[in-house]
Amino acid sequence: MSLVRRPSPAAQWYLPGILAGMWFTFKKMLSNLFNQKKMPTLNYPEEKYQYGPRFKGNHVLTVKKDGSIRCTACMLCATNCPAQCIKITAAESNDPTVEKYPISYEIDILRCVFCGFCEEACPVDAIRMGPEWQTAGLNGAKFTYDIQHLAYRPQLKGGIVSVLDDQERHRAGI
Amino acid sequence: MPKIKINGKEVEVPQGSTVIQAFKAAGQDICHYCWHPGLSVAGVCRLCMVQIEGMPRLQIACNTEVKDGMVVNNTSEAVKETVRWGMDFHLINHPLDCPICDQAGECGLQEQYMQFGSYDPEMAEPKVKKHKVVDLGPTVVLDSERCILCSRCVRFTDEVSKTHELGIFNRGDRSEIGVVEGKPLDNNYSLNTVDICPVGALTSKDFRFRQRVWYLKDADSICPGCSTGCNVKVHYNEEGLWRVKPRYNPDVNGYWMCDSGRDTYKFVNVQTRLLAGKIGQRGSWAEKSPAEATRSVAQRLNEVVEQSGPDAVAVVVTGQYTNEEYADLFKFLVQDLKVKNIFHWLNNPEKTTEFDGLLLRGDLNPNTQGLEGAFKANVGKGNWEDLQVGLSGGKIKLALVFGPENQSSFPDIKEKVQMLSQAQSMVWFTACHSADLDEAGCETWQIPLKTYIEKSGSFTNFQGKVQTFKVGTTVVPQALTVSEVCELLAGRDLNWALRPKSLGGAKANYATTHRGAL
Amino acid sequence: MEVKLLSEHYEKPEFQKLEGYKKHGGYQVLSKALKMDPKAIIEEVKASGLRGRGGAGFPTGTKWSFLPANGEPRYLLCNADEGEPGTFKDRLMMERAPHQLIEGMLISAFAIGSKKSYIYIRGEYDYPIAVVRAAIGEAYKAGYLGKNILGSGFDHDMDVYAGAGAYICGEETGMISSLEGLKGQPKLKPPFPAIQGYLRKPTIVNNVETLAAVKYIIRDGAAAYRKYGTEKSAGTKLFSVSGNVVRPGNYEVPLGIPLKTLINDVCGGLRPGRQLKAVIPGGSSAPVLTAEESWKVTMDYEALAQMGSMLGSGAVIVIDDSNNMVDMLSVLMHFYHHESCGQCTPCREGTGWLNKIVHRILHGHGETKDLDLISKVAQQMMGKTICALSDAAAMPAISFVTKFRDEFESHIRKGGHTAQVRGAAHA
Repeated sequence: MSLVRRPSPAAQWYLPGILAGMWFTFKKMLSNLFNQKKMPTLNYPEEKYQYGPRFKGNHVLTVKKDGSIRCTACMLCATNCPAQCIKITAAESNDPTVEKYPISYEIDILRCVFCGFCEEACPVDAIRMGPEWQTAGLNGAKFTYDIQHLAYRPQLKGGIVSVLDDQERHRAGI
Repeated sequence: MPKIKINGKEVEVPQGSTVIQAFKAAGQDICHYCWHPGLSVAGVCRLCMVQIEGMPRLQIACNTEVKDGMVVNNTSEAVKETVRWGMDFHLINHPLDCPICDQAGECGLQEQYMQFGSYDPEMAEPKVKKHKVVDLGPTVVLDSERCILCSRCVRFTDEVSKTHELGIFNRGDRSEIGVVEGKPLDNNYSLNTVDICPVGALTSKDFRFRQRVWYLKDADSICPGCSTGCNVKVHYNEEGLWRVKPRYNPDVNGYWMCDSGRDTYKFVNVQTRLLAGKIGQRGSWAEKSPAEATRSVAQRLNEVVEQSGPDAVAVVVTGQYTNEEYADLFKFLVQDLKVKNIFHWLNNPEKTTEFDGLLLRGDLNPNTQGLEGAFKANVGKGNWEDLQVGLSGGKIKLALVFGPENQSSFPDIKEKVQMLSQAQSMVWFTACHSADLDEAGCETWQIPLKTYIEKSGSFTNFQGKVQTFKVGTTVVPQALTVSEVCELLAGRDLNWALRPKSLGGAKANYATTHRGAL
Repeated sequence: MEVKLLSEHYEKPEFQKLEGYKKHGGYQVLSKALKMDPKAIIEEVKASGLRGRGGAGFPTGTKWSFLPANGEPRYLLCNADEGEPGTFKDRLMMERAPHQLIEGMLISAFAIGSKKSYIYIRGEYDYPIAVVRAAIGEAYKAGYLGKNILGSGFDHDMDVYAGAGAYICGEETGMISSLEGLKGQPKLKPPFPAIQGYLRKPTIVNNVETLAAVKYIIRDGAAAYRKYGTEKSAGTKLFSVSGNVVRPGNYEVPLGIPLKTLINDVCGGLRPGRQLKAVIPGGSSAPVLTAEESWKVTMDYEALAQMGSMLGSGAVIVIDDSNNMVDMLSVLMHFYHHESCGQCTPCREGTGWLNKIVHRILHGHGETKDLDLISKVAQQMMGKTICALSDAAAMPAISFVTKFRDEFESHIRKGGHTAQVRGAAHA
C-alpha cells in the first residue's frame, strides 16, 4: 500500500518563500550593478574563461616536421574509445619510410565524451586533446571532424609537431 | 603405442610421434615457432625445450621421438628460464612496433611472450636494420625486420607447394627471407605462407591494413570455390567479410587452401550483391522486395503451367547450392509441378576433371556431386540441345534459372542470358547483380539469393563426402534461400520474424549511425 | 720433445709427389691393409685409442662402428675445412704430404666399405687444393684410386670439393649440407651422419690428421701408436702454436706433454722480457687459460677438460702481457657473429648481441654490469642449438670475462683504450 504524506500546513504558506527569494535576487542585482568587479560570472561570449594547459578539449592530430600527418593508423585510439566515435581507414603509404597512414580519420565530436583515452592509447603522440572547448555550431554544422579539421584547422597555424620523430628513433636504433 | 608422462599427465601417442605432438595430445602448453604440424621439422627456434628424465641436457620436443615410459616436463625452472631467454633472443632484434604491425592481435610472439616470456629485457644495443616492405610477389609483402627466421614459409614452398620460390639469404643476424633468383612468389598457394607466418613478416596484400584483427569475428564454413570443399574460417565484422582462412581437416584440405578460394569472400559483400528483386528487361527495371517479386513469379508460373502444361517450363540449375536446397527444389519441381525439363549448367565442362595436384579442382562448383545425386534420384538430366530447340521453337515459355552464386567462376553468363532470353520470360535466382543480366532481352525477374555463409546446409565434395555448415553471418537479410523460394513459389508464406539482422555494410562512420537518443 | 711420426718427411719437397712419397715407403701400408679384414682394421683403430683430431675428440673407431651393417652405399668425407682461428696444421699436412692423406683415407674407406670419398677443403686454401688435386690425379694414374685397387677388388673414387670459406662448414653436418649443394648449415641431429649423412646415406666425417694417423696405426700396430701419449689420449698430435712465442709453427708432440714444455722448449719460449698472460689451448672456441693454469696443465683431452677448457683442434694461441684481453675478445666475438649461420635463434641473435656489448666496452661505452650480462647471455647460448658454434662463441666469452674481469673492469673505468695499450695490441 502506498502512503502519501501530505505537506504540513505550514509548508503550504509559499508566499513568504517567494518574497524572500525575490528579495535576494534584487539585492544581488543591485550589488552587481554597483560593484561589477566582484561579480563571479563571465560575460560569455565576449569574455572567455582560460582553462589550464591540461584541459581536455577538442582533438588535435599532430604532424611530423615535414607537415605530414603523424598518425600511423594503428587504430589503438579507436579500439580504446569508449564512445566509439573514432573511425579510421588505413592505407599503404607511397613514402618508403612510412608503412601505413590514415587515408581518413574521423571523430564524431557529438558522440565524444572527452575522456582522453585516445590520447593515452596513442603510442606516437599523434592525437592530443587540445585547449579548444567551444564545439557549438549552428544547425547543420559538420560535427564529424576529418583529418583536414583535426590536423590543419586555421587555429593550429599549420599543425602541431609531434614529440616523437621516426627519423630520430631510427637513428637511435630503436 | 608408447605411453609417456607429460607434466605428470599420462598420454598415449602413436608410435613415431614426437614429444611436441604428445604435448599437443596431452593438451599441455608448449612454446614453439618453427614447428608446424603440416611441415617438416626445422628445430631452429629452440623454444620447445623440455626436460626428459635421464637426459642431462634439455632437448627440443619437436625433434625428439617418443619412447615408451618417457617422463617429460616443461614446467621446471631450468626449462622456463631457457624458454624466457629463447624468447628474449627472438625479440632483441624484433622491432617494437606492434601498433602498426598487421599481425598484432594474432601474433605468435605477442601471445607466447605473455605466456612464456614476461621478463625484463636487458638489450640496450641498436637493433639490426633490414629491408622493410619487400614485394615478394602479387599476393605477399615481406617485412624482414619482423621476421624471426622460423623458415616455415621456406619449408612450405619447398615441401607443400613445391615451387621453391623462397629462401633464406645471408648469414647470422643479417639473414633475410627472399625470393630465389628474383622469381616472384607467385603460386596459387602463396597465401598459406602468410597464415603460417607466426609474426607479421609476411602479410597478404589483399588484407593488409584493411582491418585490425581484433575487430573481426570468425565463423566456420566450407569454401564454395571448387569441388574440393576446403574447410574454412570466414572472418567478418559489421562492415562485411574480410578474409577466408583454412581450417584443419585431415580428410579434405589438411592445413591449407588455395589463393583462389580465399577470394570467395568478395562476392558475399554488400557491394556486389543483389539487394532487391528486379522485374523488367533491358533499360527498364522495377524494384520489389524479394518475397513480393517471388510471389509474382509464382503467379506467372501457375499461368504457364495451366495454359501450356509443365513442359513449357525449363529449369536451369548450377552446382552452387546445398543438398537441402536441391532436395526442396526437386521435390517442388518434379513432384508438385511435374516439370521434366531440368538442365545442369556446368560452367567449364571440359575442365571438370582437372586437378592441380594439391587442392584446386577444375570443377569450380562446391556441390556438383550433390546436384548429380538430386538428378539421379528424381529425373534425368535434360539435354542442352533439347533446350535450344525448345527455346527457339517457342515451346518453352518460362525459364527458371538457379544461376551462379559466385559469378567469377562462370565465364559464360552472357551467353546463357542471351540463349535463355529466347523464352517469353525468364527468372534468375542469383546472389549478385550482373551487368549481363541487366541487358536481358525478355521479361526477366532477378531474385536475390543468399550466399554460402548466410545459410545452413551441406555440400557434397568430389569424394562424395558430405560436409555440413551453419549460418556464419548475414549480409543481405532480405535475400532468400532456394528452399524459401520453393515455399513462396508453392504459395506458402515465410516466417519473417526469424530473419537475422543485417550487417549493414561499410558506412562513413559506423558510430554516427548508431547515435541512439543523443 | 718433438716426435716425428706423421711429420717425419714433411721437410722434404719430394714427399709431395708420388715418386718421393713411394721412396719413403708410400702406399705400402695400403697394400698391407687391403689384405686385412676390414673389421680387423676398425678393431685396430679402436685399440689404438685414436680420437678425432678436428676438435671434438670423439674416438674414431667407435664412430666407424656406428655405421649400419647393411649394403647401403656409404661415404667417407675428409674434413679439411680448417676454419678454427689459430689452426693451420691441416694446411701443412695437405701441402707437404697429400699422398699420406690419400693413403690414410683409402685405408679408412676400405675399413668402412666406402666406395666414394670427398676431401672438403676450405676455399681459401688455393695451394693445398691444387696440391691435393694433383696428388689424386697421380694416384689415379698409378692405380691407387679407381677400379680394383692393387688387384684387391676394392674400388674407390676420391674427389676434392672446395668450400666457399664458411667456418660453419667445418661442422660435419654443415659440411654435408655444403657438399650436397645446399646452404652450409648444420642439420638436425638425430639422425646422425653415420646413419643418414651425405645424400641421406651413412657417412663418416673425419679430420685430415685423424685419417692420416690411421696409416701409421695400421703400419705399426695399435700398441706402437699407444706408446705415445697418455692412457686416454693416445698418440701424437700436431699443435699449431701461434701468438707471442719465439718460434710459432706446427709441432708434432705426443699428447700429454706439459704446456710449459711446449711453449718453452719446443717453441723457444716467450719473447724476452714478456710475461705470459693467457693461453687459448685448443683454437679460438676453447676457454682461455690464465698464466698460472697454463704452467700447470698438460696437453691432453682429460687434463684440459679438467681445467674447464678443451684440446680442440690443437691450436695453441699464446698471449703475453702486451695484449689487451678486451681487444682479443672483441676480435673473437666479431668472428663468431660473422660466422654464425643464422639458423638457431640463440646463436644468431646471441652472437650479435655479445659482439655489440663487447665492442661497446672496447670503445669505452661499457658499464661493469655489462660483464655480468655477457656471462648471462653466453650461458644461455650454451647447449641450446643444433651445432656447437653457439657454445664456441659462448665459452671464450664466459672465460674471458670471468678470468680477466679485473682487466675488463679497468678498461671500462678508463673509458676505452689508452693510446699506449692500443698500439701494443697491434705491435
